Order: sequence, then structure tokens, then C-alpha cells
Amino acid sequence: MKTVVYVSPFVPQEWIAAHGLQPSRVLLEHTKRVAIAQPAAGVCPFARAFIAFGLSLTDESAIVATTECDQMRRAAELLAGESSAPLFLLNVPTTWQTTTAHRLYISELERLSAFMVRLGGKAPTKEELTDVMLRYDALRAEIRGARGSLSGRAYSEAISRFHREGAADLSAARAAPLARGVPLALLGGPLTGEHFRIFDLIEEAGGQVVLDGTETGERTLPRAFERRRLHEDPFPELADAYFGTIPDAFRRPNSQLYHWLKGETARRGIRGIILRRYLWCDTWHAEVQRMKEWSPAPVLDLDVGDDDCESRAASRIQSFVGMLR
Amino acid sequence: MNDYPRRITLQEWDAHYVQLREAGMREPPYGGTLRRHVEEGDLRLRTLLFDNSSAALRLWNFLLTEEDRLREARTAGKKIVGTMKDLGTVPVMAYALPNVVAFYPDGAWWIPCVMELSEGLFGIADSLGIDEAFCPVRAMLGAFITEAHFPVPDLLICSAGATCDDFSAIAQRLNGLGYPIVWWEIPHRRIPDPDEERVELPGGFAAPASQVAFVREELERLRTVLEQFAGVPLNDGALSAGIARANEVRRLLAELRQLTFTAELCPLPALEMLIAEMLAIHFCSDQAETIEVLRELLREVRGRVEARQGVLEADAVRVFWVNPVADLQVMNLLEDCGGRICGTEYLFSHALDEIPENLPPMEALARMALADPMVGSAADRAARICADTRRFGAEAVLISRIPGASHCATEGIIIAEAVRSRLRIPVLEIEVPPLSDSIKPMLRTRLEALIETSKELRKTCCVPE
Amino acid sequence: MLCAGIDAGSRAIKVVLLNADERQVIASGCADQGVHHDSLAMRLFEEVLERAGCRREGVSRIVATGYARNAVNVADTTVTEITCHACGVHHLVPDAMTVVEIGGQDSKLLRLNRDGVVFDFAMNDRCAAGTGRFLEMVAARLEVELQALGMLAAKSQKPAAISSMCAVFAETEIIGLLASGVSREDIAAGVQASIAARVASMAGRNLNPPVVFTGGVAMIPGMTKALEAALGQPVSVAPSPQMTGALGAALIASRQMAQKGSR
Repeated sequence: MKTVVYVSPFVPQEWIAAHGLQPSRVLLEHTKRVAIAQPAAGVCPFARAFIAFGLSLTDESAIVATTECDQMRRAAELLAGESSAPLFLLNVPTTWQTTTAHRLYISELERLSAFMVRLGGKAPTKEELTDVMLRYDALRAEIRGARGSLSGRAYSEAISRFHREGAADLSAARAAPLARGVPLALLGGPLTGEHFRIFDLIEEAGGQVVLDGTETGERTLPRAFERRRLHEDPFPELADAYFGTIPDAFRRPNSQLYHWLKGETARRGIRGIILRRYLWCDTWHAEVQRMKEWSPAPVLDLDVGDDDCESRAASRIQSFVGMLR
Repeated sequence: MNDYPRRITLQEWDAHYVQLREAGMREPPYGGTLRRHVEEGDLRLRTLLFDNSSAALRLWNFLLTEEDRLREARTAGKKIVGTMKDLGTVPVMAYALPNVVAFYPDGAWWIPCVMELSEGLFGIADSLGIDEAFCPVRAMLGAFITEAHFPVPDLLICSAGATCDDFSAIAQRLNGLGYPIVWWEIPHRRIPDPDEERVELPGGFAAPASQVAFVREELERLRTVLEQFAGVPLNDGALSAGIARANEVRRLLAELRQLTFTAELCPLPALEMLIAEMLAIHFCSDQAETIEVLRELLREVRGRVEARQGVLEADAVRVFWVNPVADLQVMNLLEDCGGRICGTEYLFSHALDEIPENLPPMEALARMALADPMVGSAADRAARICADTRRFGAEAVLISRIPGASHCATEGIIIAEAVRSRLRIPVLEIEVPPLSDSIKPMLRTRLEALIETSKELRKTCCVPE
Repeated sequence: MLCAGIDAGSRAIKVVLLNADERQVIASGCADQGVHHDSLAMRLFEEVLERAGCRREGVSRIVATGYARNAVNVADTTVTEITCHACGVHHLVPDAMTVVEIGGQDSKLLRLNRDGVVFDFAMNDRCAAGTGRFLEMVAARLEVELQALGMLAAKSQKPAAISSMCAVFAETEIIGLLASGVSREDIAAGVQASIAARVASMAGRNLNPPVVFTGGVAMIPGMTKALEAALGQPVSVAPSPQMTGALGAALIASRQMAQKGSR
């Protein structure tokens, strides 16, 4: 069975699985170097890691890239000419409040379906899609339900593993000790595998991530499917759950992100926000000052470069948590 | 005709202006010396070289008085719409309305250069968290806050989607500060799948019919917004007339470009050509006057070409310029180093192509919007650059990277590779900050090297197999 | 007939005195650059002339090149270092198709045709990462002499990953690595690899061998090896790499004289 790899939360796992292919929202390694002509300064490390990852693939896999940001769109373009794996570029609209934007997203999923059929997949019937959606919805509910009993890192890793492998094996996650520290939200773009260390750094400093608002974490879990709509017609419900409810900084306007964050901050008693952003990521960078002005809780701006040097991040986190305590 | 065409300093213009007046030069109401703009803060003019024609003077005066025009429009009861991240689509719609003036707030990116940072716009952007990691268009944020460079528009419309991250993030920041924005989606232009209907776009591109239909729907939404804003209907007839007027500007520019870029002797300097081309985007807030300004400039250029007169040396190397430059002085510098501009791609090449007039107007505008080089792939853009480089007979390509711009980091590589492999001519990529004085020697070395290399290649006509 | 080339670089001034008829170098010299470009260049030029037993009036033509070339008043004309390095390297290694030059302030990659004419080139952007200046900064940070940096790098077991594209960020990375206990040897090797990677990125996808490495940084041990690894092909160092720009300038001066004579 061919694996379809992607990094965006706007690619529905269920849609790929229902076509009989293996979905895998991969966790990149940011320290991998790009073998071809290296982009000049200004390329975000995550986009570079994505290029490196795409180049390492064979035609056993296929890539679904997306257009949420200019950098990833252009990374996809570089890969299209260089990677051995077939590539599909899914146009994720930036606007979201109009019916035309919703329709565009739906038509893009239909185009993705045609791509997957060309890969050897089979377009699902309504019943097949419903079954797959119910299965994934149940797994997500299981993971969500375990949140209170897992450490911040274990919870986020469990989500990431679910996205990667489509499974919700929480036994290992439950074994991790629970920390009790200053409740914090971690916010920003996607994490790479190495970056899960940030949860440890926060705990070592006396904090605790009670809300993972990174792209890798719970922020990008779609809402639970509405059963009635699901049984009427699963495809529009799938599109609506993904396109309509995942808050993100790239959306225009991105008021949905602030609305979501306001609710979660109050619900979880969050006392500080760590906004982690990649260098050259304009989308999150531009939110730093706005978030500081908006948030009642203090905000720490943590920029991440190509290096995996954690001493700088550790000292900032220590200072931040120390201040909150 | 003025005296022999040449580039002159601001100081030389002072005296030249008096002579032209004495010789009977007639000027529009916004006319006057260039010096007065320096006194109003446009300090960069002190170090630039200008064309010495009265047509060029009119062009400069037209450009540098846009703020006055906007304020007069407001006083006269006209409504002002700011069309952001839009290089030539919504302004055409807005100018089809009788009581609306459209302008381009993104154009504020040149203010820090023109005013030599004296206006403090970057400082304001910094304080809003939009620091120098972003493209110089961040100056626009400061301009909104100070209200010193343009009146705050009554309506803001901004495209989003396949645009650059910098501008999208900056516009969102503006929105977050309380400025309402009507967003419209421009999708990434893609090659039609085999089973999709294909639509040809201006500029030689193509897109699937479904994408054109999507953009048309988005523009229809904006039509409704504009109608409500203006309080008058924007019917197809008015739109077609608006397209015809926009095409008049585009045709004038097309002739100007053809003449200037292909003439044996360069009839007009790069700076004046840059400003003239910029008029295609938003007409400098006065569409009718834009046509008059361009007509006069074209007359001047025609006369020079017929008289075999030029502003640069006959052996100047023909350079194709990619991307708008943050510091205007660098256009002068290329000419000082022995180059001349023969072809440009300032990221709005679609705004220089005629809008199809044989189609329903909204369909035509949708096709034109999708032909924007920013929304397509860098490979598409590179293909057009190669085609235009060939068309204008350029001997080298210069890619001017915009500091901080999200698209420049990878795009330059793709364009450079395409030019090297298809045209086998030298390509140089430089990065130009809004004030380049401190790196001028470095830039000069690179530009001189490009000119030397191109001249050497003229002798040998030999590139490796 | 005597001709001279003066390469007024950002870190050093180099002078070559050439017997144009024989295309032989008669004398050459090198001195540190300073604030007063013209007087420093003049002083070195006079020293070289004295060493060769020649007089200023006996030099038919002088070409200046390098970052401060326009400040060298004694020169008859100026030519950029791109053209001069290409000319100098082609003279020394006639089959060279690609020239990598790393100097104090710039790094360059030149593509030559079979006649030694540059048909395309690429240079570093504004940032100093990937130049000699960056290596100096690193050496100071690691508390070693610039020349000893290569020796230090040779002892590396696991070169550190220095991936920042900006000198300022790279310095921050180095400080962080030192604080994390990464050895100076591994940092030095990582820095060399990072500079080589930047040059490789300028090369793009088509690189014609043979590749010749020149400029002051070519004299630093270990850099050639790092460059070979990044480019994936053998790299040879030009003879007297620091002098190729000045040599090229002198050769161009002699060519200009010959052209003048033939007219």
C-alpha cells in the first residue's frame, strides 16, 4: 500500500485512508541538510527540512504539499522538479468566511481524490468514507480523553503518533510521569522531532504545557464529526470539520485563532504563552507583538533557527517561568 | 524637444527648470521644480540623476504629488479605496465608478528610500513587531499610523492566498490594529490537470477553467462591496469602459517599453521607465492624468528615437531587470556602471498586458488577475522572463532581491537557473536595502563585473558547451 | 615593457609587477589594508618597484582591482576583481573552468569558457558569512590564530552543524555550541563546512570541472578539503592564491597596452 505523506493539518487523514492508501502526517527532522542547491538566506528552517525530506523519498511514497504559506508553496515547487515521489499541491484557501472559499477547499479535496486514484487508490463510497471517518473520530476522542492523565509532552507525542501512524496507543504515553508546574500554552507552527525537547525544558524550568497550540498539537485536531451530517453525506462534513474549525495564524482574517485561544486560556487557567516561531516565518512572526498586546497572560517570543542548540531556548524559558512563579 | 537628452542632477534641474519656463514650458497644476519635493522631505532626490525632459519632470511631479491628489479627492467628496496586494485588478473596477479613487498603500514601501528614513516609518513598524525580517513594505504600517503620507482610505480591499507571506502578515497586523479589511482569495495558479478545461490567460499562461471561475466569483463579491461602498451600480457597461481606459494606459506603456528597450540608443533612463511602468498598477490616483503623462513621455521618446538620440553610451550593456528595487539610486548606479535597462519584470507584468476586451468584463478581469506572476510558480515567472529577455535582446539578467521578502529566497535560484540554461547569458542576483549607500561599493563591484563580463562575451560570443 | 596590477582588497593590498613581453612576474608584495587605501597602496607599490630595481616611470600601465580599487589614484584604470581573478587563474591554470575565490569580504564563484572569459558569476550577498571576515571572527571566538583554525578543524571527530545563513546568527550558534560543551575542533570544522556549503549553493546544479580555489582563504588549511566535500569534486589551489587578483590586473594592463599598440 502506497504511503501518502504530508505535513499540513488541512490534509484529512480519513480522505487518504478511505482511498485505500496509508496517510502519514510526518514529523520532520530539522537538522537534515538540503542536498541540492541550497536556498539563500530567508528560507524558514521548516520549509528547508521539508525540502530535505521530500528529496529523500522514493516513488514508494507520494507527497501532498499545501499552500498555507508562500514558503511551503515554493518548497513544493522545488520538490516537484527534484523529488522521485509524485507530488500533489493542495490549494488551502487563506480566507475562510465565504462560501467560495469552502467550495474551493472541497474541489481541491476532489482533485486530491483523482490524484490518489492515479496512484492506485480507489475513490470511496459514502459508506466506506463514513466508516473510516467514524474510526478516526473515535481514535481522536480517545486521545482527547486522555489529556488530563498525560504529561504535556506525552499528550503531544500521542497526537503526533496518531497523525503519523493512525493509531492511538496510549500505554507508553501513560507511563510518563505527570509534572505539576506553572500552566502554559505553547503556540506556533509545526514542531520537528527534535523540538519535542521544548516540553522537557519547560518542565525543567518549573512550567507545564497544558495547551499545545503548535501546528503539531491539539490545536489542529479537527472537531468531532456531527453524526447526523456524517450519515447524510460524509464528504461535506469531513471538509467542514477540517476547513471550518482548525484555527491558524495564516488565515485571513485570523480572528478564529484568537477566539480559540481566548477560550482555551480561560478554561485551562493558562498563566503564560510561549510563542515558538521559526526564523523567516513571517506568518507567526507578525503575531508576536499583537499577541503580547492582546493576551492578558505574558508572552515569550522564542525564535528557532536551523541550529538545535537548546541552551539559548532553555535560559529564556527559565527566565520566563521564573518570572511567572 | 528639450536640449540634448541626458541625465542631470537635482542641482542641474534647478537651472534647467528656469530655462524651460523661459522657453515657454507649460505645466499642469501639480507642476513645479523638483527641488520643492526635497524641501518637503523627499531627500533622496538630492542624490539621483534624472532625465532632463519636461515630460520626465511632469512624470516625477505626478508621482510625488499623489498625496495631495488623494486629499483633494477626499475634500471633493470622492471616496477612497485602498487596494492592497493588488497589482492592477481591483483598481480597474474602482475607476469604473464615478465617485471613487483607488490607490495602492503598498506603494509606501518606497517612502523610507525617498525620504532617506527621515519619516520614521520603519521605527513604527518595528514597534508593532514588524521588524526588518519583513520586506520594506512594512513601511505601510507606519504610514497608516501617522496618516502623514496618505489619508486613511474609506475602504480597504486586500488579496490573500497565493501572495507573499510578508504582505499578508503585515496586512493582518493592520487588520488587528482595527482597520477593517475586505479580503479576497487569489489561489495559486496551477497547470490544468489532463481532464480539466484549460483557459488561456494574458501573458501566455494557462489555468484551469475552475480557477478562473473561482476568481470571477471572488471579483463578483468585490463588485457588490464596491457598489455598496459607492452607492451606485457597477454594471458591465461601466466595467468594460473602465477596462478600455486601463488598456489605453497599458498600450501606451507597451509602446514606451518597446521603443525604450529596443532602441539602438537608450532614449529614457531606467528610473523614469520604472516610474512610468508603476503607473499601470493604480494610475497614481488619477487615471485620466496618467494617460496624459504617458502620452507626453511617449512623444518625447519617439522624438529621441527618430533623432537617434540617447541618454547613455552607445555600447551600454542591455540588462533585463527582475523585481522592483528598494533603493531607486541603484537604477542610476547600473547606468553609471555602463548598463541600460532592456526589459523589466517588476512582479506586475500582467498589469502591462492588455485585458481581453472580447470577453465579459468580469471574466476578463479574472483571467488577468490569475496571470499575476506572484500567484503562479517561479518556473512560470522564469519562462516569461526568458521570453521577454529574448524579445528585448538583453545581454544579461539582474535579479534584485527584496530584503526579507518571502518569495525571493527560493525564486531567485529558479529564475537564475532558467536563464542560465535557456539563454546562456550572465545572471547576477543582488540584494538592495531601502538605503544602499553603505553597501554601494559592494553593489558597484557586482554591477561593474556584470557589465565587464557581458562586454567580454560580446567579443568572444563563446560560452561553454 | 612593465605593467602592474594592484589589488586593493578589504583585508590586504597586493601588488604584482609584470614583464609584459615575457608575461613573467618580476616582483610582488602584500601588505595589510587600512583606512588610507591610496597611500597604503602607493607605499606597497613603491616597495615592490624598489625591490625589482624599477622606477614608476618605467611602468607602462597600472590596473587597480579589489574593493578599494577606485581609491588607488596611481592606477590608469580599474577592473573588477571578478575579471582579474579569472584572468589570473586562467594564466596559471589554463584549463580551469570554475574559479572559487574567497577573500576577506566576498566569496565568488566564476564560470569560465575555454578562453578563460567569465560567462557567469555569483557572489555572496551582503552578509559576511562565507567570507574570510567570518573566519576571522570565528578564530577570535575560539581564541586561535586564523592559520591555526585549519589545524584545529583537522582534529574534529564530529563537525558541528552550523547552518545559519547569516554571520550574526552563525556567531550566536557558535556561542551556543561552546556553551553546550561542543569542542572547538568540531566547531572549527563545522564553520569550514558551512562556508564551503555556501559556496556550493552559489554553484547551483551545473559545475564544470576543473575547479580552482583562489583568494586569501585558500591558504587556510582544511578549506580546500571542505570545499571538495561540498562541491563533490576535486579542487586545486591556485599558485599564490592571494595574488591572483593582482596578477590578473597586471595581465589585463599588458593586454590593454597591446591593444593600444595594435591600434
